Amino acid sequence: MQFTFTDEQDMFRDTVRELFADLCPPEAVRASWDNDDGRVPGLWSALGDMGVLSVLAPESAGGLGMDEVDLVRILEEAGYAGVPDPLMEHAAIAVPALAEAGSPHLAAALTGETTCTVALRGGAAVGAAGADLVLVEQGDALLAATAWRMTPRTSIDQSRRLATILELDEREELVGADAALAFDRAALGTAAQCVGVARRLLDATVEYVGERHQFGKPVGSYQAVKHHLANVRLAVEFAAPLVYRAAWSVAHPESHDAVTRGRDVSMAKAMAADAVDLACRQALQCHGAIGYTFEYDLQLWLKRGWALAAAHGDSRSHRDRVADALGI
Amino acid sequence: MKVVVCVKQIPDPADPGALDPESKTLKRDTKLILDESDSYGVEMALQLVDTAGEGSVHLVSMAPNNEVGGLRTALAMGAESATLVSDDALKGTDALGTAKVLAAAIARSEPDLVLAATESSDGYTGTVPEMVAELMGLPSVTFAKSIAIEGGTAKVQRQTEAGYDDVECPLPALVSVTAGVVEPRYPSFKGIMAAKSKPVDEVTCGDLGIDAGSVGWAGGGQEIVSIADAPAREAGEVIEDEGDAHERIVSFLEELKVL
Repeated sequence: MQFTFTDEQDMFRDTVRELFADLCPPEAVRASWDNDDGRVPGLWSALGDMGVLSVLAPESAGGLGMDEVDLVRILEEAGYAGVPDPLMEHAAIAVPALAEAGSPHLAAALTGETTCTVALRGGAAVGAAGADLVLVEQGDALLAATAWRMTPRTSIDQSRRLATILELDEREELVGADAALAFDRAALGTAAQCVGVARRLLDATVEYVGERHQFGKPVGSYQAVKHHLANVRLAVEFAAPLVYRAAWSVAHPESHDAVTRGRDVSMAKAMAADAVDLACRQALQCHGAIGYTFEYDLQLWLKRGWALAAAHGDSRSHRDRVADALGI
Repeated sequence: MKVVVCVKQIPDPADPGALDPESKTLKRDTKLILDESDSYGVEMALQLVDTAGEGSVHLVSMAPNNEVGGLRTALAMGAESATLVSDDALKGTDALGTAKVLAAAIARSEPDLVLAATESSDGYTGTVPEMVAELMGLPSVTFAKSIAIEGGTAKVQRQTEAGYDDVECPLPALVSVTAGVVEPRYPSFKGIMAAKSKPVDEVTCGDLGIDAGSVGWAGGGQEIVSIADAPAREAGEVIEDEGDAHERIVSFLEELKVL
């Protein structure tokens, strides 16, 4: 049994990492806070050209026929880079749902000609103002709408342009798409991004405490600081394998039922949310006052981390779900 | 048109490098990646073939342990095939030995054009491409910022300190490409998946008709007798400005011959 990622999957991750490093540096994330559409110019079309948006569509529908195990570390990299575009909503939830329903909206979504977002379980939609298609959960069904009314909502992370979808004007039911599966994909994708954000915070903090001197030594040489960061590393390294396992569970429905899939996804989201929350708190603690400032980039990832920890179910709700799945 | 690109696979510069105390050379026992310097040559070759509307890009590399990680990246960008020379006898090979090996491997492809980087990111000798050209009897143009193929001629803009020279030479030729003159494409996911099934011909010195004694440590015209840590950076000179600081600065710059 193969427990590691393949060389090819490593290449997918490395290529996307390079793309994000070039096109989505911290300045671009910062600019997305108050530009017109909350997006990074040029990034979406580059993701479409690379094939990132079509990973979860079958080859017969024009996609790449890959699965969540291929996508999970790409979303992790999106978290690491702080990508503000609704990549997870589009590539991890909407594209497979449109493919499962045989929707005519799929083709444009695969190339990046259109942008899709989602509103699940009454939650807010990310980037709805600039989206062409929104998928909304209604009972057990998923509806796809090309016209809707909405009201903006405020996020602690202003690069997440949130909106509550009020009413769908032009809509159709995505027959064949599974709303429960869409939620699990959302929780999984969010967990992957949480891991990426936590890694970014850890890297930034390790670098900072190596540079910041106090009493003639780098503050990172003091044991109290080391312990904080070692605890973050532990939390991240314990969460990541659960996220990868959850990706495998979502990608292989033939191996288990939906309850088991939900259990695996919820274990991943609970652990990833806790890991990123710890990373946020310890990064802030180890940076000291500068970590609070708007001008310093750390805040971009702190706010993303806290927003994602709560998105698509917080740690407590996912722990409850694990308990239910285990019958305890 | 057949374009061969010389590609070096190097240890990831993001990881701290280390010297092998025995061989006194850079350790290459980790996964190797495509030298960024060579990605410009690969991109330029792909663009030339696109412009010509026909032809192919073939890669040639010399690396230990049958390493193909960097080659796969270039194949994922769009190159069609690769030749990898890997042989224990090549350990310790110097620049001239490397050129002999590459020249022999390139000759098998009978290319119209050979591209290389001006220098590698880990060795920096900056001499291998010209040695390859000499060994193959090809005209050599260095520091290309753009290349156009017209008939049997390569028209090259050769970068200089003042601008560029327009240079022409008959094909086949070897041209070294300046880093940063084109924007290497990102491999697409389809390209990455296709790369694993593209042919990589793995050959040894014997396959190329090269005497193992003429390469490696045995054939090297040089020997690394010792290695030492770089000297620690010394503190700079602090000048208190007593009205003459500008003169000291001018004098300092004159000593450096930048004024």
